[in-house]
Amino acid sequence: MLPIVKATNLTKSYAKGIRALDNISISVDPGEVLVVMGPSGSGKSTLIRTFNGLETFDSGQLNVLGIPLGSNHNEERKIRRIRKRVGMVFQQFNLFPHLSILENITLAPIKVQKKKRDEAEHEALVLLTQMGIESHAQKYPSQLSGGEQQRVAIARALALKPELLLFDEPTSALDPERVNEVLDAMRRLAEQGMSMVVVTHEVNFAKEVGDKVLFMDSGKVIETSTPDIFFLDAKHQRSRKFLNQIKKK
Amino acid sequence: MKISYKEIIQALFALFLIILICVLINNISINLTRTGIGFSFNWLFRPASFALAEHPLPYSPSDSYAWALFMGWLNSLKVIIYSLLLATVIGVFIGLSRIGKNELLRVVSAGYITIIRQTPLLLQLMFWYFVAFLSLKETVLKPIGNLLSISNQGINFLGITLSAEFSSLLLGLSVFTSAYIAEVVRGGINSVDKGQWESFRSLGLNDFTGLYTIIIPQALPAILPGLTSQYLNLAKNSTLAIAVGYSDIYAINDTIINQTGRPIEGFIILLLSFLFLNLFISNGMEIINTMITSSKNN
Amino acid sequence: MILKKIKQRAFSNILDSITTLIIISFIIISLTTILKWIFFSANWSVVKINLPLFFFGSFPKDQLWRPGLWMSLIAILSFATLLAPRWKWVPKFLPILWISFAPLGIFLLGGGLGLSPVESRNWGGLTLTILLTSFSAILSLPLGIVLALGRQSELPVIRKASSLYIDTMRSVPLIAVLFFGQLLIPLFLPIGLEINRVYRAIIAFTLFVSAYLAEDIRGGLQSVPKTQREAGEVLGLHPLQITCLIILPQALRVALPSLTNQAVGLLQNTSLMAILGLVELLGIGRSILANPEFIGRYIEVYVWLAALYWVVCTLMALIARHLEKQMALEKRG
Repeated sequence: MLPIVKATNLTKSYAKGIRALDNISISVDPGEVLVVMGPSGSGKSTLIRTFNGLETFDSGQLNVLGIPLGSNHNEERKIRRIRKRVGMVFQQFNLFPHLSILENITLAPIKVQKKKRDEAEHEALVLLTQMGIESHAQKYPSQLSGGEQQRVAIARALALKPELLLFDEPTSALDPERVNEVLDAMRRLAEQGMSMVVVTHEVNFAKEVGDKVLFMDSGKVIETSTPDIFFLDAKHQRSRKFLNQIKKK
Repeated sequence: MKISYKEIIQALFALFLIILICVLINNISINLTRTGIGFSFNWLFRPASFALAEHPLPYSPSDSYAWALFMGWLNSLKVIIYSLLLATVIGVFIGLSRIGKNELLRVVSAGYITIIRQTPLLLQLMFWYFVAFLSLKETVLKPIGNLLSISNQGINFLGITLSAEFSSLLLGLSVFTSAYIAEVVRGGINSVDKGQWESFRSLGLNDFTGLYTIIIPQALPAILPGLTSQYLNLAKNSTLAIAVGYSDIYAINDTIINQTGRPIEGFIILLLSFLFLNLFISNGMEIINTMITSSKNN
Repeated sequence: MILKKIKQRAFSNILDSITTLIIISFIIISLTTILKWIFFSANWSVVKINLPLFFFGSFPKDQLWRPGLWMSLIAILSFATLLAPRWKWVPKFLPILWISFAPLGIFLLGGGLGLSPVESRNWGGLTLTILLTSFSAILSLPLGIVLALGRQSELPVIRKASSLYIDTMRSVPLIAVLFFGQLLIPLFLPIGLEINRVYRAIIAFTLFVSAYLAEDIRGGLQSVPKTQREAGEVLGLHPLQITCLIILPQALRVALPSLTNQAVGLLQNTSLMAILGLVELLGIGRSILANPEFIGRYIEVYVWLAALYWVVCTLMALIARHLEKQMALEKRG
């Protein structure tokens, strides 16, 4: 089977010669959950944002769902084709504050997939029920807690029936007691066989759900291994140092 | 190289603009040839042959149109600068009253602001001119002895004479703008953290000292931009001078257009005059701004 | 208890007490003077006799129901807007009703389609003031939105053209735009195409006000976080859809208070047409004062006009405040 994401020698540098991505090669297979870890500023967000064209790169090859993306900037059509099949969940939820929860979820199905409103709303309610927040359908984002908002954001991403979900630190902006409700939802998605790339600091989630762990620092992949090996017996000095630091927290 | 759709859109838009401008210019040239006026600025140096009631430099009807326009520009500048100062004084006073401790003063200044802001400036100007000055007829008011006398000829203060036209424009513009400046001042002071008031009070400073040494310096960055835009509005509003018969740049331009029948040239002159006035005000405010920020840093 | 409160609020120290006393005496003196004038000295006949003129201008007597109907409709509409949240079905129709309100005014005043035509020089008074305001407002809002988006565009030609337009308009006085609108619009039009003074004024107001609206809307656009656009992008929405469905609605909500201030300012500024040959509210006042029968009645006419303007502007501000609250509630529930 073809990999869902295949990156080869991806490189991106900012002005002043800082390397955000330094020769990165990875692949994600269908149904796989890839967890990306690393200190802040290590390039992990930049990496997953290249997967749906939110970030460009300078050189290397990237292939998402069989669609090749080049390093030049003029690929809006291709990028939109990818985005229709790849969902993304942000750290700050980024719900649309002027729309109700239901409208947040049905916007893209109606406007992008041209679904009928009734059908889109029915599907949205099914998703909200899966996320356990169907009672909030008519409310506005500002009336919900952070955890609830993030679950709405996941439902919104799922509404387009994506083949890959990208999570950019989905629990970092939440109160500690709200983290698990979001992680549980993600866990259930993984069990259903959803392909996922998750940037997170949640060690337990990575251990239980992750199929692979990718550790990055300064734009480089330091190591890629299974969670068992990575958390018990990391090969690299830097990985072990990082793991010690997050354990202290 | 492939041409992107963005470049196509831009090219189409530019083409549309050019066609639009060409059509307009074509229409206007047809209309101008038809009326036989054409387009030139030669008339600027012919004698204006109209008198001006007020002119800061020597002027007579035999002087050129250009000189008359310059007098108008100076007249505008004069009324703008005086009004700007008076409006600031009144505005700061009302703005401070609006947030002061005295409830009655707060209510009165709120009333002042709503009456001034919810009625048209032009109506206020006419009120000042026709009611406050011209209706005095022969009576001369002397509220503080011979120092100040007010009549339908204007104001005489300590020997300085201001015409009724100038005075009503000055008062109308200042009062109108002061209500807006008051809101700018209030907004600026409210933008300063409430904790600052508590901290200077806890240091034993009284409200007046605290306001001037602690609050206002912090409020200034929020106040100055708003103040600048009110000053620019005042400058633009000063063109309503024509309603009270004061010869500012707009009124003189208006007379000249009526005499020469050249609205397009007139429009260009007015545009340039305002460009200079605006530059004058914004540069002035910029200098004040740098003075304040540099004195803060030292 | 009450005494204590009064003391705290108005007599907290000596200086405060002196101020309070001065203000009280000032209020008493000016109130008695004003009330005495209103009820005894003033001669209100100039207002009473000319009441139809102030409201409808010199509209033909037998057709007065037309501006009358229009003005009543605006009153009902304003009332409905204030009470709307109580009736569920009304809010949906309100925007449409408000938008169709100005064209309806042109039809009712100008005639056509079965109504006898009335020439625009017979339009006047408060009716004309409101017509100028509503028509210019409806036209300048879309133009302002386009200019604001243009100024934010990533295409340099469009961005620079929008900026140039906005900055030029904002640097010239309104009276100049209106004056040259009256003079130049006929020159720019092909021979044979003529439009009357009222439409010329509406065009000039629209060109002027849209530049100011554009800047307020731009402020709103800048307040919407960039991540909102990203969130729309990852859902596969087209850039145009993102702008219209996600960015603009939020930007307009933020800009609403300044937009309504502009509307109030526009209504006040229509008075400038009084010195450019239209008999809107202030203009009709001036022409009444020019009538030898009412010569010298400046104070009565100006005070009456000020009161009318004040009431209309304050009503507008109230409706606007109400809409702002409504939207804030909608967001919070």
